[in-house]
This record gives sequence, structure tokens and C-alpha cells, in this order.
Amino acid sequence: MMSEIKKIKNLKEFSTSADRFEGANLLCPGCAHSIIVREVLNATNDDLILAASTGCLEVCTAVYPYTSWDASWIHIGFENGSSAVAGAEAMYKALKTKGRLKQPERTPKFVAFGGDGATYDIGFQWISGCFERGHNMMYVCLDNEVYANTGGQRSSSTPIGASATTTPAGSISYGEKKNKKDMMAIMAAHGAPYVAQVSPSKWKDMVAKIQKGFAAEGPVFINAISACTTEWKFAPEDTIAITDLATDSLVFPLYEIINGTELNITYRPKNIVPVRDYLGAQGRFKHLFTKQYEYLIDEWQTRVDLKWEQLQRREEARV
Amino acid sequence: MEKAGWDGFEIGAMLRTFDGAIQNIATTLPEDRAYSQSSSFTASVADWRIEKPLFNKDYCIDCQFCWIYCPDMSIIARDKKMVGIDFDHCKGCGICVEVCPTNPKSLLMFPEQKDEDMALAEWPKKEKKEKDTEVEED
Amino acid sequence: MADTMELRDIEVWDGNMAASHALRQVQVDVVAAYPITPSTPIVENYAGFAANAYVDGEFVMTESEHGAMSCCIGASAAGGRVATATSSQGFALMVETLYSASGMRLPIILNVVNRAIGAPLNVNGDHSDMYMGRDSGWIQLDAYNPQHAYDLNFIAFKVAEDHDVRLPAMVHQDGFMTSHTAQGVHTMTDEQGFNFVGEFKPMNDMLDLDHPVTHGVQTEEDWHFEHKARQQHALMTAVIPKIEAAFDAFEALTGRRYNLVETHQMDDAEMAVICMGTSVETAMEVVNELRANGIKAGVVGIRVFRPWPMEQLAAVLKDVKAIGTLDRSSPHGTMGMLFNEISGSLFNTDTKAVLTNYIYGLGGRDLTKAHLVGIFNDLKANMDAGKPTTPLQQYIGLRGPKLSFF
Ligand SMILES: Cc1ncc(C[n+]2csc(CCOP(=O)(O)OP(=O)(O)O)c2C)c(N)n1
Ligand code: SF4
Ligand code: SF4
Ligand code: SF4
Ligand SMILES: [Mg+2]
Repeated sequence: MMSEIKKIKNLKEFSTSADRFEGANLLCPGCAHSIIVREVLNATNDDLILAASTGCLEVCTAVYPYTSWDASWIHIGFENGSSAVAGAEAMYKALKTKGRLKQPERTPKFVAFGGDGATYDIGFQWISGCFERGHNMMYVCLDNEVYANTGGQRSSSTPIGASATTTPAGSISYGEKKNKKDMMAIMAAHGAPYVAQVSPSKWKDMVAKIQKGFAAEGPVFINAISACTTEWKFAPEDTIAITDLATDSLVFPLYEIINGTELNITYRPKNIVPVRDYLGAQGRFKHLFTKQYEYLIDEWQTRVDLKWEQLQRREEARV
Repeated sequence: MEKAGWDGFEIGAMLRTFDGAIQNIATTLPEDRAYSQSSSFTASVADWRIEKPLFNKDYCIDCQFCWIYCPDMSIIARDKKMVGIDFDHCKGCGICVEVCPTNPKSLLMFPEQKDEDMALAEWPKKEKKEKDTEVEED
Repeated sequence: MADTMELRDIEVWDGNMAASHALRQVQVDVVAAYPITPSTPIVENYAGFAANAYVDGEFVMTESEHGAMSCCIGASAAGGRVATATSSQGFALMVETLYSASGMRLPIILNVVNRAIGAPLNVNGDHSDMYMGRDSGWIQLDAYNPQHAYDLNFIAFKVAEDHDVRLPAMVHQDGFMTSHTAQGVHTMTDEQGFNFVGEFKPMNDMLDLDHPVTHGVQTEEDWHFEHKARQQHALMTAVIPKIEAAFDAFEALTGRRYNLVETHQMDDAEMAVICMGTSVETAMEVVNELRANGIKAGVVGIRVFRPWPMEQLAAVLKDVKAIGTLDRSSPHGTMGMLFNEISGSLFNTDTKAVLTNYIYGLGGRDLTKAHLVGIFNDLKANMDAGKPTTPLQQYIGLRGPKLSFF
């Protein structure tokens, strides 16, 4: 039985959703992880089977004797949230074949959440395995570009010039030296039916993509920007504003890749904001606004322009 | 929840969200759910707040920006209307206030001890701007 | 429905084939696995069954053993019968998740075809991987031959999935010596095999959509200790009676008898060796020869390694005067595991037995009958002297100068 796609015409209609993620979790005030989770979960009325990798989301939402999850949820370790949900999906298939599902008429969706550490770094092999095997699942990366849960160490998603505790800015260092890994390209190269970059601040674009993902057959990868008030060092009320700066400066462009090849840009800012404004709004880039390191801001802008150019060319070329 | 002894809880540190069975969770509102003691819904983080948001429905246009961007499920929306704030779960982050598009804002931050009636009485008037904030029609 | 396979009463199977057929017969719902010598054929055989309609569950070939056990955990928590197999380096890679499986009380069955752990890399059988698992909270059963490898799988599913137990279980067999040695194996029909274990009964299953559950929570100093104590309580009190009941039921069905502690010629034995795996059978042969010469020797084999059958061992060894513990794993900095565990099992008893330790067979080195005769000669001298006449720990079958400690 195919499940129906939930109708979400506008925000008013969306606001009739009954959340399946609960408050009094231990995430920081203003944490974007939670906003992302809400938009994903509320995008469907189907049942959900969820997994999370070790990280802020996990340690803040299932601390005994409390759980913030209203759907079945599992956590094993830092690297294997993908495999946990893949295993559950395999069991669903097996019990379906054998006629042992308790509610055979219902069509649960399988979703794994992981931080950028769990996704770009330690859990990469497991995710790659799950995608190659073609499990019917969605993997959502909560990309805050840092190991937030353990206090702000760099990950391979940390962008050049960010100060992280293991790549701190100092008198002879401008912080992180490596460019952010292009996870979108890597996941698209798996031939996944649907890969998309989303921002919770652009809720309509995001929810549409989540719904496309749920409708796809096979593994779906979602990379969600998750502005982290604690590690990016901005005031908690600014989470949405900072996220908008990321998308509107094109530091975090919103696009999708269908079947590994067809790239569509899904959001074109009316007014493109200078990268400088995005960087300047966050403490993690504060040191870039000094004589010594200011050249990096121009380099940033060049990199962002180039990437935007490339995305547009790929979109145009339909390859 | 009371701290049980080693033989006083479910094996495997498993937690159940609800007492008894629940169907159609996705369309059942919190007030109609039988949350168990182990759902964090039954807990409170009110003491995290230094400031709290207060709501003035006179200016509200029910755009639901506050609902979608509240990280803590603390904007109560019913029948497409903003009806209030869940002060057990609100952490006082201030996002709802930031994203509220009305002029004056329909949500403002106040010290935790602030009396609501007083706050409403002192609510700022419409700010003169070159151009009123544009509200996206969705 | 999966097709039924007609088996002869006795099939010539090696340990791997025996284990594969057991997995097929209990109709595992999800097998998620990764190949490694010498357990690879379990996975290959099972894949062959799946390719020929003898399996209707899911067979997931993962990207690693860690991924395999992670999938097994997700599948088991979802609510169904789950199994896998591994050895050595693969087992080591799984270790993190072994603790997750037992802590979450998920009755996964893991066939461990015992093999040495590098460095240096070695593909042959010793007990390093089995020993590495011993604090992981799993039930551990040890097979000495292909028949046991077959039978103990059925026991493992029956015990592990029992709602009073809900703990994962390993079935161990010796790499190559059991896994690749074909012997006559008495079979059950598919129906008998399945019925012995029965339908899987779900518990706290994620796929029960009306009852959402949270698995794999965080517990800190205010809760962790109680949860670990509860897990230990189940392992220590629920498992042994269930295993004994399963052994009885299995004997009633097949006539084959298993015991927590296996004994050979122990009734009047004055001296005994204690060992695991294929060595138990070699030792039995040697004891038969010694008995022919009037020497009162016996053999004790550990069948249930975890939970450790402390009382049963103390009872079996009560009147023995000299005991040799034979460990097929490098103890790295202390006495062999069996020496330590047996010491602990006897310390508060009246025994005056002289206890010594032998390290043998690492990386698949043979344990010969001559080695065992030598060990019994040592034990005889210890018994006569009433105290150790040799160093407490000796290496046997090793080239170079004699190596011994303590
Ligand atoms: C195998 C393993 N290595 C290291 C850790 C420690 N650790 C836990 S969470 C974490 C970082 C999480 O970062 P990320 O995945 O980006 O999630 P975030 O907390 O930023 O949301 C680390 C290093 C662990 N739990 N397990
Ligand atoms: S540290 Fe960052 S990601 Fe973690 S809970 Fe706080 S705001 Fe969220
Ligand atoms: S954001 Fe402001 S105007 Fe919109 S619903 Fe909330 S309170 Fe009302
Ligand atoms: S202050 Fe933050 S937590 Fe409280 S209602 Fe507003 S957005 Fe939600
Ligand atoms: Mg992170």
C-alpha cells in the first residue's frame, strides 16, 4: 500500500501538525537540531522508525528516565545510526514477507539522524554501505560543522577559517585549514535516488524536499544546515537569522540531486548577501576580521562564487 | 521520575513514550495523548529561562513563523491560530520573538518574573518604519 | 514460505555447514553478516540457501562486521529473529556493538568460529576472540565438533529469546579444526528444528507501531549502575536454569545430552585437565589411554563459558588432587583465563588441589597427544608432592628455550 503524501499548502496548514518530538529535552535554547527534526517528522503523517547517532541530538533526547521521542527510536553508537535503521528496515521487509507485521496496513518511514561528525567522519563507511545496499531509508545529517556534543572539536565539515577546539585560531593559525568535505557530491555519487541540501529556515523548500525523499524508493540523503548557538558563538535568538545568512550568502546553497545526476537549484536568494556578513555574525570567525587573516574572507567569497557558478552550470547542463 | 532500584524498571533501559496503545499519533494532539512518566513532555525546563516570551494576540496575524521555528514545541497552535506558549517547555531562546513579523511584534521577551497583564499594558506601539515588514504569504 | 530441505539422518558436514543449516532451520528473520576466515562459509552457505528459496528472511551483506552487528541490533530491536557469524579481527571490530546488544537485551545469535587475533595476522584457530568476548554480557556456548555446532545453535536461540532471558548468545567452534572438518552430523528435520525453538515472540519491538519504544538511552551515574546490575542479574540467575531446561528438552528430542560442564572419566579422577573446544576431545582420547594403564585421569570441558558455571565446576573438581588448566589464548600479563577462573571457583572450597596453567595452541599450533601425556605427568608429580613441582604457567608446543612464568 502506498502512503499518502501529507498536504502542506502553507504554514497555517502545517501548524496543525501534532509534533512527535517533545520538549523538555536537553538541547541548548535556540538549537537548530530540534527545528530540523520537527520539520522532518512533521512532513509526514506516516508512522516513523527513527535512529540517531551519538551526538547532541541523541544525548539530549533520551537521557534516562526520559525520552523525547513519540515514535520508536534507537541509538547504538556514534558511527552506526544508519545501520541501526537499515537493520530495522530489513526486519520490516522480512516480517512483511512472512506475514508477521502487527499492523500490516501501515507503512512506516525509516529515518536516521546524525551529526556531521557521525556523517562526514566516523560513520561514513556505514552510511556508504547502507546507500550502496539500497535500504529504503532517509539519512538526515544535522550539519553544525563541528563536534558540538563533545565541546567543539573540528570535523571534516568544519569550514576553512573556523576556530574549533582542535584547530584553534592563534597567533600563527587561522583555525581550520581544510575545505569542507563535499558530502552532497559523495552521496549523489552513490546513485541515491534523492540527495538534497536543506535549511530549516527555508521551511517550505525543506519540507518539500523531505516529502520528495519520503516518496523516493531507496536511500535518501538530506544535508541540513544546523546553526549551533554554542559552538558558532551567536545569541540563541539569532538561529534563524544566521541560517538565513548562510543560505542567502550562498555559503550553504540549497539544491537537490536526483538519481545521482539531475541537479536542481531550489532556492535563489533575491538579494545575495556578502559572505563577510555571514562570517561576521559568528564568534567562530571573529579572528578573520583582523589584518593578519582578513585575506581569507576574500578567498571565502571567491570559493562561494565559484561553487555557485559550478552548481548553475551543472543545473543547466542537466548532468 | 522516582529513582527505582535495579529491579524496578524495564530491561535494556527501554523506555515507552505512552501508557497503553496509541494509534494515529501523527494526528493526535498532545492533550489527547496518554504520555507516560518517561516522556519528557511530562517534565519541565521552565527553570532554564532568564527571560520569557509573552504573547499579545491583538497584533498577531497567525502567520505561524513562531510555531515553525520554535525549537522546543512551545508555541501552541490550534486550528491554524497561535494560542499561546507552553511555559513548561519554553527555554526562553527568543527565536519566536525574532521571527515575529508584526509591528509591533506580537511576541516580546520579558524578565521571567514579569506579570503578564503589566506586560500587555506596557506593550510598545507600532514603530514608524520607511516600509512595513513584508510578510510572506504562506 | 521458504522451501523445506530434505536432509539425511546423518549428513557429512563441517562445523560451518552445520551452523548454516541450523540458521536456516530456525528461519532467522534477518541475517546481516560480513565474511572472514574461517567463518566465511557460514555466510556463503546461508547466501546459497537464500539464493535457492530455502530462506525467506532478509540476508544483508554489510560493509563490515561492525556494520553487520549494528544492523543485527537494529533488526533485533525492530522485533524478530536475528543471527550472524564472525571470527577474529571481525569479532574485534564488532566489540563495541557487542556491549550495545547485551545492554539493550537483544537476543541476537552470533556464531564465532574461533581464530587468533593479530598482530601477527593469523587465520588459524585459537581462543583469543572467544576470550575477548567474555566481559561483553553475552551468553557463550562452546562446541567441540560439528555436531555440537549444529545442536548448540538451537539451544542458543531457545534460551536467548526466552522473555525471562533476552540476552544475546554466542556459539563458539574452533576455526578449521571444527569449522572445516567434515564429520557425520545427526540432523533434525526442518520442522523438528524449527519447532524446538518455536516462533519468535517479540518484546519491546520497534515495529509495534501502536507502542513506540526508545532503545539505547543514555544513563549516567544516577542510573547506569542499576541497569548494569539488572543485566548481570539476568545473566547470573535466569540463564543457567533455562539452559539446563533446553538441554533436557533437546535430549528428549534427539537423545543427545549436553551439560553446563562436560566431564569425561571424572567420577574417580585424581587429576584432570580443563580445556575448551576440540582439545576436549583430544584430551578424552589421552585419558582413555592413561586409564588403560591404571592412571586415574579425567577431563573437564567448559560447555557454558558465560555465565560461568562456578558451582558445577567446584562440584566436579571436589576430589581432584591436581588440575591442569589449558588456555588457548595468550594471557598477556597474567595467568591464563581458565587458571584464574578455576582458582576463583575453588578458592572458598575445601579443595587442596594443586593448580597449574598451560598455554598452548596459539595461532592453530597442534595440541598433540604427547603434549597431553606430558601434562598429565606433571600433574602426577604435583599430586604426589602435594604442591607444584613445575612453574605455575608453562608454554607447551613452543620452539626455543622452555618458557614458563611464576
Ligand atoms: C566511537 C566513538 N568515538 C568518539 C565518541 C565521542 N563523541 C561522541 S559525540 C561526538 C561528536 C559528535 O559530533 P557530531 O556528529 O557532529 O554531532 P553534534 O554533537 O555536533 O550534533 C564525539 C566525538 C563516541 N561516542 N564514540
Ligand atoms: S551545542 Fe549546538 S548543536 Fe549541541 S545542543 Fe547546543 S546548540 Fe544544539
Ligand atoms: S510569529 Fe507573531 S504574528 Fe506570527 S503567529 Fe506568531 S505571534 Fe502571531
Ligand atoms: S522563547 Fe524559544 S522556546 Fe520559548 S516559545 Fe519562543 S522560540 Fe519557543
Ligand atoms: Mg556536529
